[in-house]
Amino acid sequence: MQFQKELIKICEKYPQIKLNFHYKIWETDFLRFYQSQINYNISKTSISLSTTIYKGKKSYNFSLKNPNREILQNKIDEVLELIDQLPEDPDFVDLEDDLSKTGEKEKTNNIEKVSLDKKIEILEKFSKAVEPYNFKIYGTFICNYRTLYIINSNGLDKREVSSPIYLECKAVNQKNEVTVLEAYGGERFESFNEEEFTSNLVKKVKAATGEVVDVESGKYEVVLAPRCIGEYLMHLESSIHAQSLDSKQSYFEGKINEKVFPGNVTIIDDPNHPDLINFDYNGDGHIYKRLPIIERGVFKNFFVDNYYGHKLKMKKNGSEGAALVMETGDKELGEMIDSVRKGLYISSLHYMNFINRKETSITGLTRDGTFLIEDGKITKVVNNLRFTENISDIIKGITEIENKSYTIPYSSNYGEFGIYSARMPHVKVNGFKISSSTKTV
Amino acid sequence: MKKLVYDIINKLNAQNITYADVRFTDTDTQQIYFEKGKLKYFGSDMDSHALGIRVLADGCWGFAGTTILDKTSIDKTIKRAISNARIGSKFRKEPAFFKKLKPVQDSYLFKPIEDPFLMDDKYKIDFHEKIAQKLIGNDKIVYSFVYSEFYRQYKIFANTEGTLVDSLVYDSMPKMYVLASNGRESMSRNWPGDMNGQRGGFEIIRNAKLEENTDRIIEEAIKLLDAPRIEEERADLIIGNGHLALQLHESVGHATEADRIFGKEISYAGKTFIKPAMLGNFKYGSDIVNIYSDSINQGGMGFHLVDDEGTPGGTVDIVKNGILVDQQTSQENAALLGVKPSSNMMASYADDIPLIRMTNFCLAPGKGSLDDLIKSTENGYYIDFTKTWSIDDNRNNFQFTTEIGWKIENGELKHIVKEPTYFGITPEFWAACDGICGEEEWDFQGTFHCGKGEPGQAMHLSHGVAPARFKNIVCNVKA
Repeated sequence: MQFQKELIKICEKYPQIKLNFHYKIWETDFLRFYQSQINYNISKTSISLSTTIYKGKKSYNFSLKNPNREILQNKIDEVLELIDQLPEDPDFVDLEDDLSKTGEKEKTNNIEKVSLDKKIEILEKFSKAVEPYNFKIYGTFICNYRTLYIINSNGLDKREVSSPIYLECKAVNQKNEVTVLEAYGGERFESFNEEEFTSNLVKKVKAATGEVVDVESGKYEVVLAPRCIGEYLMHLESSIHAQSLDSKQSYFEGKINEKVFPGNVTIIDDPNHPDLINFDYNGDGHIYKRLPIIERGVFKNFFVDNYYGHKLKMKKNGSEGAALVMETGDKELGEMIDSVRKGLYISSLHYMNFINRKETSITGLTRDGTFLIEDGKITKVVNNLRFTENISDIIKGITEIENKSYTIPYSSNYGEFGIYSARMPHVKVNGFKISSSTKTV
Repeated sequence: MKKLVYDIINKLNAQNITYADVRFTDTDTQQIYFEKGKLKYFGSDMDSHALGIRVLADGCWGFAGTTILDKTSIDKTIKRAISNARIGSKFRKEPAFFKKLKPVQDSYLFKPIEDPFLMDDKYKIDFHEKIAQKLIGNDKIVYSFVYSEFYRQYKIFANTEGTLVDSLVYDSMPKMYVLASNGRESMSRNWPGDMNGQRGGFEIIRNAKLEENTDRIIEEAIKLLDAPRIEEERADLIIGNGHLALQLHESVGHATEADRIFGKEISYAGKTFIKPAMLGNFKYGSDIVNIYSDSINQGGMGFHLVDDEGTPGGTVDIVKNGILVDQQTSQENAALLGVKPSSNMMASYADDIPLIRMTNFCLAPGKGSLDDLIKSTENGYYIDFTKTWSIDDNRNNFQFTTEIGWKIENGELKHIVKEPTYFGITPEFWAACDGICGEEEWDFQGTFHCGKGEPGQAMHLSHGVAPARFKNIVCNVKA
């Protein structure tokens, strides 16, 4: 019998307790390259079961690798001897009880589809394309394949299959280490346009061959690449989760239906967006649906899971912020850059950390291509810069939004190397605070 | 399991490969987490086993890992590691190499004073609940938690050079936190700091004196709400051990990992401003700054008999009298730099590939007590308890915020300041170090969460530090 079916039977065998299972079968094929050659390729396989047992409001959690029925039952029996002695969590009400399902689509296993030979063939082309400019390529090319079963004592029996591809290719100038980045993320390899990817990479490489300068700290008009605004929004997500209300760390506390950002800013969490990596369920097994977060500058919704929905008496919605979409505006990217007299184009961000989460104050750095804009033109490469700023002020400072958006892949890196994506346009921001130069690219 | 590992090595030896190593780990963890006085999470991950095989063939590394230990899976993993290397070699211009090592056969089994995995669970829960209850009840404390994590890992390492070593270690990590709010702003205080992991069992939790310090952090968090910020543009800073460990970690530890020099970590963790030509001549800090990598001090979580490619543990000077003299290296990167390998190749679990990691990365003690250092400071701040950290892609520009600082006037601690934030450029900052306390103040700080690599690995490691003073540091940075 398939083990996921065993889990349903085990739920039935223990009616006095509530069981919640996450049963995962996960594989990765993970290529890392540097100096236009392979560093190593990693293949990993893992089968794991995470279990939460509730007896009333008392709970215990455990994980098992390669579980079987006997091992699991022994562990449950062991926990039952302990659980009565534990203190209660009075805020726990019940496990997820929404039994409705999505189509639970089958997905191609991209580990099989995009072989190591195929990856190497693609990387060799990138390498050759940047070589004439004295650049070499560095990065990662990853395919995952995961099947997740979410099963609980309330009758939940759901399955989610995912097989994301993540390609991050940095081109590094061998003379001065100026770096640029091009990335792809998605689940349909057919959507990967090798020629367009190469052409974008080379375009960035050409822009990165100019003089390298420092700029003074101070306020600048900046054009933020889609990756940057996406990263700021992902950090702001910590204020959108209902949990942040409970821990008194949400910038949005008391601001539902309040205008918090300019009227041209609309942000949606859309796990079914055709250009993004899609998700069926949140971690509870609740259907994960499209949810507006900011509508024309007005804050609309928190991400509410089952536990905090009960605890904070909020309606759960299954959203997690894994597929953020910012609506496009009405400006061409060229127009946005043209209108900057002296400012910066920022390609990517690095090592951001909150100083004060509730105030959204953050520090971090630019990375992988920071450029000086003078009289409407990108003129020079700028050393990486440090910013110390409130994310809320950055978004409040948005004056223009591009009329086109781009898919930006990102990874959670740890554990099972979760791969997500966001759909973002370029934005122009006034008064962006640069606090220091790094003196290096 | 030793037989299993030995059999895999024999199978690998029969292949036409340059080198291979095999690791098996069996890891147990347990976490206890009380939030706002209530038990929010109690759980364990026991007998989490993993197997990893790393192969050097045709001048390229290949790796495969699995948690499935049946014969079919193991044979598949062996084949995959070899094919990853062979296919990968098609896109490898400079062949990777591995210098022959003297084989080591040894065993190290650490015994904690109080084994947390043999203790009564109810006792551990009651212990933490008592602390959790002391953290609530004050109207201005809007959020609190107390958390402990226990870790035990048994590892077998073997390679095709004939090394076979097994080890058992225990690490533990306590932490408590309060957040105070006056409705306008919120301020946090934690204990015993962010670098709170140590080698040992439940005795580490007791030694942290959590219960004895609940009143202190509540009082300080509330006082911080009305405390001033640093107003000076620049000031002399004395940095306490908990935060200094992180300063050392970010601006020297990661900067001196040799794989960064060659761009092997550019895609995620980043590069380093250090170039090979700097070894032996670059002024990294003032003359009193001596920094070393030490994998043979059993007091730290970075202790090992051999690293994860079989290089015996040892001590290597990284910065000697302020001059950069060496790097943390693997066999391959040491040869590229023309230095001896430093025994720094480590992986978190057996199914992770080894990377250059800090082990016990230490700032050597100077002279005198913390009191002496404060007394000799006319005007400055004593800061500790990390709140925020950030450093650039080259490990050159950093900015840190601590939860709390104390104004020093004429050699005495005065009032507290909130969220002291300072910024620096790595070599300029370490050149500004004019005082390091002595052995009486030196201890191990440590983390379970040093992130590096892709897929990411979180490493347990330690830093030996004593409080130190840095002159004329930029410390008035605001959002």
